[in-house]
Amino acid sequence: MSDHKPATVLRENVWTSNPIFMQVLGICSALAVTNLLINTVIMTVGVTLVTGFSSLTVSLIKKWIPRKVRMIIQTLIIAFYVIIVDLVLRAYMPDVSKNLGPYVGLIITNCIIMGRAEAFAQSNAPIISFWDGITSGLGYMGVLLVVAVIRELLGFGTLLGYQIMPASFLPWTIMVMAPSAFFILAFIIWIGKTIQFRQTKGATA
Amino acid sequence: MDRQGTTYTVIFSFIVTFAFVFLLALTNQATIGKVKLNQETARQSAILSAMGISYSSQADVVAKFKNIKTEQRKGVTLYTTTSNGQTIYAAEFAGGGLWSTIRGVLGVNEDVSRILGLQIISQGETPGLGGRIDEPWFKQQFTDEKIVNGQIQINMHNAGTPDTSHDNGEVDGITGATITSTSVGRIVNDELKTLRSVLGGNS
Amino acid sequence: MNSAPIIAPLTLLFASIFTSNILLANFLGMCSFIAISKDMDSANGLGMAVTVVLVLTAAINWVVLHFILVPLGLEFLQYIVFIMVIAAVVQILEMVIDRVSQSLYMALGIFLPLITVNCAVLGVVLFMQIRNYAFVQALAFGLGSGLGWWLAIMLLAAMRRKIDKAPVPAGLQGPGITMITIGMMAMAFIGFSGMLKVQ
Repeated sequence: MSDHKPATVLRENVWTSNPIFMQVLGICSALAVTNLLINTVIMTVGVTLVTGFSSLTVSLIKKWIPRKVRMIIQTLIIAFYVIIVDLVLRAYMPDVSKNLGPYVGLIITNCIIMGRAEAFAQSNAPIISFWDGITSGLGYMGVLLVVAVIRELLGFGTLLGYQIMPASFLPWTIMVMAPSAFFILAFIIWIGKTIQFRQTKGATA
Repeated sequence: MDRQGTTYTVIFSFIVTFAFVFLLALTNQATIGKVKLNQETARQSAILSAMGISYSSQADVVAKFKNIKTEQRKGVTLYTTTSNGQTIYAAEFAGGGLWSTIRGVLGVNEDVSRILGLQIISQGETPGLGGRIDEPWFKQQFTDEKIVNGQIQINMHNAGTPDTSHDNGEVDGITGATITSTSVGRIVNDELKTLRSVLGGNS
Repeated sequence: MNSAPIIAPLTLLFASIFTSNILLANFLGMCSFIAISKDMDSANGLGMAVTVVLVLTAAINWVVLHFILVPLGLEFLQYIVFIMVIAAVVQILEMVIDRVSQSLYMALGIFLPLITVNCAVLGVVLFMQIRNYAFVQALAFGLGSGLGWWLAIMLLAAMRRKIDKAPVPAGLQGPGITMITIGMMAMAFIGFSGMLKVQ
């Protein structure tokens, strides 16, 4: 693999190979909660931490994992961290935990986490793997926060529960429903990719 | 030992699984106190609300709940206290909604002639439709509502606007959420029947 | 289970396919959805496999949840147990397909193990647990979710065949236009809400 300096990894995971708009991974679990910003924040922080620590753990014990059970052990490690996040939320943020419902558990099946464990942590040192996990999570977080801000602002008129839009604002019901998340995501993908095309065109011109 | 061999694989899997499950059990033990406290105060605050007692914080809920007596009558758990010189009761209910189990608390006066209040503990109905049974305007219809012929009637004809009369024994349902609304009616009436048989009220 | 929701299993079945589609309304099962919908035959095969897995895991996990986890107070382990059961079911299904139809096995190839991490499968199990479904309801929910996912992936594969030939702007090609298509499908499925006398 190319050089894994922290800055390069950061740039790749947040921009050039952003898990969502470049690789379109891991949208399952979080799109559903993007109708409210606070839920999205907690969810994406959770995913970031789980990805970081899972990659760290996989990288630490990779020499001992037998090939045959590699995926199962990785799944076990990921499930372990997710359960911890779930328990902590239930204990210290019960309202958020109730709002997020089953979607916290679904972090386990988030393709990004397994993807980073397979693609990076299996063949790199622990610290940089941890960093790779965290930065992938950050790239993921950035996109979803944008989606959530748009959906909550236009769908409820609020942000983080605080009324932002004037009282006369008529909420856009579609923002509260599923299709809006897909459209906004398509828009973000469009913008992200177009900017990247211009950048590579500029670099080679 | 051959790291790819079957024996090693089995031993490794066992050790790793055991280690993680053990750590999880520890974390579970560490947080279970707080989790149970959260669940308890959620329940207690619902009971207080259904009885018309207000509270300001989690600590306040715990403090005020100390004035509530819990009794068992004919196998039913009742919560009781005195308010304005009258004895009032509350009981938890759980029944089938459309999509999920609806759990809540119903508060009644001594002779089960009026509902003091209704509070929802948990429900998983359709957000924006059936889920609106958890909204203040819907629940407030039950506050101090007279019970007519032993039942509360869910009215779907003017559904969507709160029934302002508290003496007609009627409550307006939610537009577009007929089954959830009627489920709430059914669950409340079943609970009223249970409370009457336990408290021996008339009407 | 007398406080299980009252929705009739048949209504739940239809609702899971149309009005509450696991993918178009609940956002679950996207990753493999986007990757596989490029080709109609693999979409069909995967849809079928997912449906079978869903029915089996809904049934088995219901039994495990109610007869093992709850009585023993081990709910905090449910995520691990559920995913392990799913992995086992997929593994067994893979072996059965290999025995029964070599051609199907070749066609599905690496996609079968991916069913294990398909959010829709774990999602259905978790929803079943949260909503406190009775056994028959869980089966109906599993079957309906599988059929709904299958339907969605077939529709998307069919549409992508046409879209691939259309002049899509560079930035939208691939995932972008796919997202828009899925969004429109989601909107269309909302139109089914009046079909069932559910609410």
